Amino acid sequence: MQNNRWGLPDLGLGVGLRTTHYPHILSEKPEIGFFEILTENYLDTGGRPLFMLDQIAERYPTVMHGVSMSIGSTDPINFEYLAKVKALAERTGSLWVSDHICWTGVLGRNTHDLLPLPYTEESLAHSVERIKIVQDFIERPLVLENPSTYLEFADDDMKEWEFVARLAEEADCGLLFDVNNVYVSAYNHGYDPVAYIDAIPADRVCQYHLAGHTNKGTHIIDTHSDHVVDPVWELFGHTIRTVGLRATLLEWDADIPPFEVVHQEVLKAGDWRRQEVADVA
Amino acid sequence: MSLEKPELTRLQRWMQEVVVHPGTVEEAIESESAIREIPSERLSEVVLPSHSMTSAERVGVYHGMYLMRMEEALETDYPVIRYHLGDHQFGHLVREYVQRYPSTSYTLNRLGDHLPQFFLDEPEWHDAAFLHDLARLELAMTEVFDEEESPVLGSEELEAVPPDAWEEARLRPIPALRLLAFKHAVIPNLVAFHEDRPSPGPRRRATWVVLYRRDYSVLRLELSRAEYDLLKAIVEGAPLGEALATAAASKSQRQQAKVFRWFRTWISEGLFAAIES
Repeated sequence: MQNNRWGLPDLGLGVGLRTTHYPHILSEKPEIGFFEILTENYLDTGGRPLFMLDQIAERYPTVMHGVSMSIGSTDPINFEYLAKVKALAERTGSLWVSDHICWTGVLGRNTHDLLPLPYTEESLAHSVERIKIVQDFIERPLVLENPSTYLEFADDDMKEWEFVARLAEEADCGLLFDVNNVYVSAYNHGYDPVAYIDAIPADRVCQYHLAGHTNKGTHIIDTHSDHVVDPVWELFGHTIRTVGLRATLLEWDADIPPFEVVHQEVLKAGDWRRQEVADVA
Repeated sequence: MSLEKPELTRLQRWMQEVVVHPGTVEEAIESESAIREIPSERLSEVVLPSHSMTSAERVGVYHGMYLMRMEEALETDYPVIRYHLGDHQFGHLVREYVQRYPSTSYTLNRLGDHLPQFFLDEPEWHDAAFLHDLARLELAMTEVFDEEESPVLGSEELEAVPPDAWEEARLRPIPALRLLAFKHAVIPNLVAFHEDRPSPGPRRRATWVVLYRRDYSVLRLELSRAEYDLLKAIVEGAPLGEALATAAASKSQRQQAKVFRWFRTWISEGLFAAIES
């Protein structure tokens, strides 16, 4: 087991910052390792969201998680957007900036979905080049999340885990390893999630994500709307045994319950982390 | 027939055309704009079926989520319009709107910026003129919510203005202020939504409103025509002497007292950021 190559800290357990929880967080000041903010929610506002964020960032470590970098898109890179991301990172003291291995639109449009990339040599080379440009611009490591996907392209040259590992190595970027996404994609595409986890370069992983999902029978959708299921906890255990302890965050974005429920859910990850530390000792 | 691998650019254009198509996923795959990139008969050569889903069904997962996401975003910014129209009509509106004004921004917060214009573009929409007014109100509320925070003009700064400088002084409004004139009674619809009462619907009545933000909450004052005209003149930078003289043109004591009362309310509500004398 090793730490990530940038020495980015293990912030412990965190939750995604959601507007419905602002009053609770500010009044109760819960003990929590860090908050992850949704980047785009704070880029163009001078009102209440930024006021709340400033207060929370003053008290807690924060990291930024975006959905619109569209790193795999064939559209030009949006430097106006990146400048705002960089400015927000500076304002909040965000320890790293993350987004997704995906594309969100072309021809100037944004579908606001995390659309799947084909796992081809062409797509890999294209994304690697763009990640390097983005990292130079934002002057900090870009940390990219493995996606949940609902289709596979027939012309893929490699498995998703090989694409993710090569992308991180060739672009020299970090990984946000979403354990639920591995479970979702493995279910949808019929592969072994453990093989995926075992192929991930540990020293590239800076953060973990956990979340609930919705099983439709024929496929699973990554809805972030429920508790983490047991098989995902098992995979999380395998991940921390294989990769190591990293900042671990619970996402809950739909049907959001009170803060205490979300907090209790992420504390379960603490049990797995303690178990891993005990086993190593 | 084995065909060459579609390049990344073509693949992404095809997938976007399918995802954003307003019809069913089958119609999307068969649409002219999608076929231009990848012929529909090649679908299974591009997207693999899974153990439980066909290639079309797998693309359909993304296609189905697109409009849901657009609807969620527009409902957040336009809850009163959604309340007035109901689920079915609002869903129809979203489908039409995003075809004409798709998102081109990194944020969904700006998706609804063209909704007032949409109702001007589409006058055949039932109650389009009323919906145009309602959309302007709700759009202005989102703008006020997100505007830059600024200091508010205090009584000390006002008292510091020498008496002979008042004539030429100008008041600078806070950025989070929008002054609006409507042809319809939009406020009762907003109130009905908040009180969970039936929407009163369109009623033609000239209405004037100022929206502003205080302590990070969006507030409003309903204005008379005379109040609106005076506040508009001030907000647009007219010297105070000129603006007040126009408003109190009758020079009656009663009218002057009324203007003074309006002015005091606007100051105490924090509508201005500074006075420039």
